[in-house]
Amino acid sequence: MIELNRLTTPASGLDIKIKIIGIGGAGSNVLDRLVLDGVGDADIVAMNTDVQSLTGSVARDKVQLGRNATRGLGAGGDPEIGLAAAEEAVEEIRGALEGSTMIFLCVGLGGGTGSGAAALIAQTAKERGALAVVFATLPFSFEGKRRRRQAEDALAALQEAADVVICFENDRMGEAMSPKAGIHQAFVNADQTISQSVKAVCGLLRRTGLIHLGFDDLATALRNNDARCLFGFGEGDGDNRAHDALALALKNPLMDRGRMLADAANVLVSIAGGQDMTLNEVQVLMEELNRHIGDNAQILFGAAVDAKMGSRMSVSIISSVVAGGSPPIARERTRPAPATVTAPEAEEEEPEQASFGMEEEEPVEEPALQPRIPAAVSKGTSPAVTGPLPSKTPVERQASLSFEPATRGRFEKSEPTIIDGEDLDVPTFLRRHIKVK
Amino acid sequence: MSKDNIIVGLEIGTSKVCVVVGESKPDNSVKVLGVGQAPSRGVRKGEIVDFETASKCVHDALVDAEEKSDVMIRSVYVGITGAHIASFNNRGSVTVAEDQEGIEERDFEQVRTNAREVSIPSQNAFIHSVLQHYYVDGQDGILNPIGMMGRKLEADFHIVHGITTRIKNTIRCVKEIPLEVEDVVFNPLAAAQVVLTQDQKNLGALMIDIGGGVTDYVVYVDGAVKESGVLGIGGDHITNDISLGLRIPMAKSEKLKIEEGSVILGNCLPGDVIMLKDDSGFAGKEIERETLNTIIHLRVREILELLKRTLEVENHLDFLGAGIFITGGCSLLKGIDHLTEELFGMPVHVTHAQTMSGLTSAFENPQFSTAIGLIKYAQALHSDKRGGWLERLRTKFPRFFLF
Repeated sequence: MIELNRLTTPASGLDIKIKIIGIGGAGSNVLDRLVLDGVGDADIVAMNTDVQSLTGSVARDKVQLGRNATRGLGAGGDPEIGLAAAEEAVEEIRGALEGSTMIFLCVGLGGGTGSGAAALIAQTAKERGALAVVFATLPFSFEGKRRRRQAEDALAALQEAADVVICFENDRMGEAMSPKAGIHQAFVNADQTISQSVKAVCGLLRRTGLIHLGFDDLATALRNNDARCLFGFGEGDGDNRAHDALALALKNPLMDRGRMLADAANVLVSIAGGQDMTLNEVQVLMEELNRHIGDNAQILFGAAVDAKMGSRMSVSIISSVVAGGSPPIARERTRPAPATVTAPEAEEEEPEQASFGMEEEEPVEEPALQPRIPAAVSKGTSPAVTGPLPSKTPVERQASLSFEPATRGRFEKSEPTIIDGEDLDVPTFLRRHIKVK
Repeated sequence: MSKDNIIVGLEIGTSKVCVVVGESKPDNSVKVLGVGQAPSRGVRKGEIVDFETASKCVHDALVDAEEKSDVMIRSVYVGITGAHIASFNNRGSVTVAEDQEGIEERDFEQVRTNAREVSIPSQNAFIHSVLQHYYVDGQDGILNPIGMMGRKLEADFHIVHGITTRIKNTIRCVKEIPLEVEDVVFNPLAAAQVVLTQDQKNLGALMIDIGGGVTDYVVYVDGAVKESGVLGIGGDHITNDISLGLRIPMAKSEKLKIEEGSVILGNCLPGDVIMLKDDSGFAGKEIERETLNTIIHLRVREILELLKRTLEVENHLDFLGAGIFITGGCSLLKGIDHLTEELFGMPVHVTHAQTMSGLTSAFENPQFSTAIGLIKYAQALHSDKRGGWLERLRTKFPRFFLF
């Protein structure tokens, strides 16, 4: 036997036992959605204080929290009660978590049960030696400031307790909806996004890839405390599937329209496709994605062939940025800190780093314009241009405008329009020295 | 339908030549019977640069209009524009003769003549003098001075003038078709006739007509024209910027501007690209949407900022109660109203010819505002001949004296 069957060699994926737990009302909604979408062989557990909602859940295992504390009713929006309820049922929780190596917690923060119980459950999971990944949603801003505050407190507690927290903002998911869509549709959409990301993370950890991504990569991508999670998932089919999949992934509301990627320090990209996925497609996709990512960001790249994908190709992007993409982080990532790079992946990153060539460094800004403009504009469109200029200083780049400032194009021969000494036939962006390429 | 009632407006624009045939109704409304148009060539920044080509385009548009409206066109009102056109306000005054009972019409004519006694460059000629206000013995707010007692009649006029030879070029171009030129009208004054209502003019309004080659504007305060003018920048510049910035041909740039362009920034995904299909002589290309929008935004912003600076000199912006009205082809650019609102800080409306009947599709298109305005303007002149004092005071313009 000469042939080495690569698909079976890394057996790491096979012994991961994943349990998905929905906490509270929002959590069980996500579970319902997950079951509808199909999650493979993961176990699903619903935990809630509200018996009515619990009975309605499709999850096979159910844990009622706070049998005495709430007597089968909800937690009434009070995290204290939620916590008390969870403490009361801690033995049952332990039992439910038994035997799994990885726990996914789906929880809607802001209410009573979710905000109160999630951190405790995550902690319990960790005590039992399992890894805890939390998918949390923050409430819509119209739900009020108090709820928001409760959600933020709970999120902080979760970040302490869990290994990885992926945080979704309902507000941003609402942005992606058409204004006419019904409220039901908005919530379904939010659930769908979370279910998608649970599935993507699930797939990511289980799939034994050509280039494998592990839990450590996920943790690296989401390392920043107090971070906003960026998540995008897209699937494409047909001739242009690589492009379509990426376009769809970037459209995800949590990508903040793709803009936030520029500030991310670590970006995890996982590509999966059927047997016919070509290297070229992967290359095209990565090149395209590179335009959105900052120069110094580390790309954690994984690719997997999955026969179940058929002719489709999917891409998941996971990353996190500190809210607002503040300068300290930007400074920190000028040189990807070697200490934080997880050891086994070292060889995977190399090819990716090499293909970077984006000129993104502070372009000269016009004071009148919002700071976003030049940054967004400077993302090159053609990879050919980006090649030759990888290591120049910003000043030099600015000087390398490829045409004379006196270009007047079709007005070359007509009478110039000169106002206040400016030849207005010359394109505005040239006169203002704003780079558009 | 009697021939008298047919009014034809001709606008030789930078992007298109447009002929509007209208019928003047007895109740002072105008019905649009047909619109003929042809893509314009040989015109840059609102002025003819290639006489023969432009002449041919005018002919094409005319034939088109005749076919569509089923009217033989003999004479037209011609709209003119161009960066050479300038305007100012001046007051004329006359002393009424001692033995005269009251102010008579000839005094009024005298005032108008006096108001024009200012030095304009020798190569220039007057196009309009539009009445703003009367003063009798220094008393303000007189609507109709004729018949009033008074020793001194004064009147403010808004005077528009431009370079004679250039105006004559346009006229010659039309006369060679051959067509009679009834009158020439400064474009924004024509467009304002249909874009703005009387109420809006009274409240104070700024009309901006961003066309292909130039941007025309007119300011109304208290129902009178306070300022008008032309900036030699228009949609062509946007297209040119796109062409130079993205390195694609003009025709592609124009299409891109119309179909995909927007002046709003920060609204696109960084990866949001527009695929330009390849065809003969042009290799396909991907255009980043934000890049396109940035180019457009910068240019449009500049036009508007320039306009704002110009208008701030006379401080008219504080008196625009009704806000700003944008028309012309470039008003179709997505988000232009938001940008204008942001810059000027007052309500902005993207609008088109209003008070008309007939072909809805024609007057609802802001590209036709000026051409339709021409017939409305002409109609106002006509009804003036039939009397109607208020009408007359508002819209009385002298016949153009170049021919």
